[in-house]
Amino acid sequence: MTSSAVTSSGVVGSPGTVGRRLGVAVLIAGALLPLVPLLVWAFAGQWRYPALTPQQLSLRGIGLLTDPRSQIPQALLTSTLIATTVAALAVLIGYPAGRAVGLYRFRGRRAVQFLLLAPVIVPGLAAAVGLQVFFIRYHLADSATGVVLVQLIPTVPYAAIVLAAAFANLDTDYERQARALGAGSLRVLLFVTLPLMRPALLLAGLFAFLISWSEYVLTLLIGGGQVTTLPLLLFAAISSSDTTAAAALSLLIIGPPLLLILASTRLLSTRSGAVIGMGRL
Amino acid sequence: MTRTLTPATGEPSGPAALSRRSRTRRSLPQPVRICLLLAPALAVVGVFFLGGVGQALAQSFGYQPYLPGSHLSTDAYSSLWTDPAVRSSLLLTAWVAVLSTALAAVLAVVAALLIRGLGRGRGWTTGLFQANLAVPHLVGALCMLLLLSQGGLLSRLAHAAGLTATPAAFPAITNDRFGVAIIAEYVWKETPFLTVLLLAALSHGAADLEAAARVLGARARQRLRHVTLPLLAPTLAGGSILVFAFTAGSYEVPYLLGRPYPATLPVVALQYYKDTDLTSRPQAMAVAVLIAVLSGLAVAGYLLVVSRLSRRVL
Amino acid sequence: MTATAITLTGLGKTFGDTAAVQHLSLELAAGSFTALLGPSGCGKSTTLSMLAGLTTPDTGDIHFDGVSILELPAERRPVGLVFQKPLLFPHLSVADNVGFGMRMRGMGRRERSRQIAEMLDRVHLAGLGERRVGQLSGGQEQRIALARALVLQPKVLLLDEPFSQLDTALRTQMRALLRQLHDDSDITTVFVTHDQAEAVEVADTIALMLAGTLAGHGTPESFYTRPDTLAAARFFGVRNEIGGRVSDGRFIATNSTIHVDTDIPGVSDGDAILVIRPEAIHLGGTRSVPGTQTLGRVVAARFAGTHLVVDVEIGNQQLRVHHPAAGRPVTIGENIGVELPPEACTVFSITTP
Repeated sequence: MTSSAVTSSGVVGSPGTVGRRLGVAVLIAGALLPLVPLLVWAFAGQWRYPALTPQQLSLRGIGLLTDPRSQIPQALLTSTLIATTVAALAVLIGYPAGRAVGLYRFRGRRAVQFLLLAPVIVPGLAAAVGLQVFFIRYHLADSATGVVLVQLIPTVPYAAIVLAAAFANLDTDYERQARALGAGSLRVLLFVTLPLMRPALLLAGLFAFLISWSEYVLTLLIGGGQVTTLPLLLFAAISSSDTTAAAALSLLIIGPPLLLILASTRLLSTRSGAVIGMGRL
Repeated sequence: MTRTLTPATGEPSGPAALSRRSRTRRSLPQPVRICLLLAPALAVVGVFFLGGVGQALAQSFGYQPYLPGSHLSTDAYSSLWTDPAVRSSLLLTAWVAVLSTALAAVLAVVAALLIRGLGRGRGWTTGLFQANLAVPHLVGALCMLLLLSQGGLLSRLAHAAGLTATPAAFPAITNDRFGVAIIAEYVWKETPFLTVLLLAALSHGAADLEAAARVLGARARQRLRHVTLPLLAPTLAGGSILVFAFTAGSYEVPYLLGRPYPATLPVVALQYYKDTDLTSRPQAMAVAVLIAVLSGLAVAGYLLVVSRLSRRVL
Repeated sequence: MTATAITLTGLGKTFGDTAAVQHLSLELAAGSFTALLGPSGCGKSTTLSMLAGLTTPDTGDIHFDGVSILELPAERRPVGLVFQKPLLFPHLSVADNVGFGMRMRGMGRRERSRQIAEMLDRVHLAGLGERRVGQLSGGQEQRIALARALVLQPKVLLLDEPFSQLDTALRTQMRALLRQLHDDSDITTVFVTHDQAEAVEVADTIALMLAGTLAGHGTPESFYTRPDTLAAARFFGVRNEIGGRVSDGRFIATNSTIHVDTDIPGVSDGDAILVIRPEAIHLGGTRSVPGTQTLGRVVAARFAGTHLVVDVEIGNQQLRVHHPAAGRPVTIGENIGVELPPEACTVFSITTP
């Protein structure tokens, strides 16, 4: 993406030097290395020190993933339901705010930016510990509804941020053109704005889903141990001595996010604003 | 353009009138419209986030909702000040956050510069880094345990290389006092995040400026120092602030990879919160408020740094 | 300081399957101001890039004053380059931008400041040294880019469509400034553009590039009166092409009654094409004069401000004429004398495209 043919026809720094290739290889090794023991443990029957490969391979770990006695299938369902609900609600609630911040310059915009970014960055537990009493009182604690509500804290503003960045790049002339052609507000929204915003809507939903999917502390505090999501099970598994189970469960947890991110690499464009929250995942 | 008057209503019709009708339909003045748009999201933030933190603040002063006879005091804060657990927690949290951020930042700069010079390999190397984002921190903690513990893969490799004879001979870097494994996990997860940010920053015209510098006589090292790094600085600063806030505020990782004492601030907060002794409750709230204030400052810092970049919404 | 002559020999560069530049050989006189003209994609920017050292040629060589500079990396070549976008360093002030090259060479601060101030003065931006880059207009930015390149006293100045992003009035001013800077310093200048009018206005010589190779090199006038190739003629707007044969110094058109006495050296007998510019054709009179004038019928006439655009049919040949608006009135359908002055005609043998 260079501006002139003069610079794009030249190469600044040659790509193929040995040092560069070696450096990248080291980086890739570093990125992959921690996942290796995880992958192997998921299929290990017995793997005692000091063996470098398991003495025995087994599918027990994988089998647990579909075994109702391990609670994993139920937790999978719970996690999926909660995450999709949170994603849908976050995009729905965050959409109008994103439009306001992205399209208009108004007094107090800075304050609004702060109010939208803070819940994403400030750890959820700071608010959840204060809220729990009220959630208990209103019978929202120990319920999936309560968990969904509390997970709106980081996801709604995050969706607003992603959508705001997209709205800033939206050409409102399309909407004006539609109005001039006689379309009412609802039609403009359905047939012009939403289709144009589709990549950003998907991206916002994707990241809201991911945040909810990986969330532990909020689910623990508000769910009270009654709402069992996959991260809660994993936490318990890690604290137990069943490494194979923990590893297998980890693979399950990584699965959907990995697929979703790889499917949407095109959407992860540089100006999308979504990058901000990615360190949280 | 012809305008005709319809006989019955006396209202103008025709093409000019159409736009006027749609103009009058937008009868909401702009400030009202903006407030309405912002309302749902700000309501969520207000009620749950500000409300939650506000409640934590109130409860840190001893306020007990739904219970009679609560007396307010600043005891929680004064005891925090003298509490050795909190002091060492602040130190450990700062140590872990600063070191993780610094290491991740340096590695990310190196990685971004290496990767952007790649020809064809660039696409899937970036994809690999993005895939790393799919791994939750919880899973990352497990990975570090399996890799770095005294029975883990590195220890076994050391044994195979003849360096250690027993698990105990391998240094204890998980659940240790210095948070080595914690830092390792953060660096592993946050370096790709920062690298992706930096690659994005570099793609917006850095190559052109470097070419201009080259023709002006700047050698490779000079270009790096005088053009590339200054261009990266705002993005790196903003991203580092975010990483600092994330690493300071995470719970799962220091809980699983660290020790109960000393522990990072979020772990301490939940320790006090779960304490059956209810006098610990205000202290838990006070730690929560402290966390909120410190990360709030980080958010403000981030916005200040990033505001220099034009055309960014956030 | 004596000026530098540039010689390009057999230069070639291929990207993937497309040859951006092929067999480009060109000599630019010391101190000359040459416009490298051509349509988009013709390889002129690539040529500039090779001159600056940002691209390595696949074949050929580049000499400055007879010495090859191919081994010199870009940062050591005595070349200044101004790009299409100003490419000012956003984190530096105006003064620091202008002084960048000197700083890279290790020049001391006091000397730098002196030269920066002097250079800013020459581009009429005195006193703006402390401004930040974001607070400037497009024209100011390009002047700073110019200053930044010129302050290093390069032997060669290269410009890649530097004014194409500016509006018309500003462009004229900038061309005048550039011309003045060139005349004051005698730096060999190569100015890339796709705008033929700009090339004609600003340069001493034009090198026309089409499809990666040289299609003409000479003064602006020569491109109008005696283009080197048919492709060059077409690029400069010739649309009247008359097919025919040359024998005994006379051109006889195939499908019309046009005969023209031609005295162009090097045109051999045989099939040929004659081209003539629309403004060079005269309309008037009613007689046919063999060798220059013939009769034609007006089929269309349109007012175009300074002239009338008249289409005239002669036999099976249509010619487009730009007739002076203040000249003899012309009506559609009338028969009129069409004069093709031999000195305004260029004939190309068919074997030379």
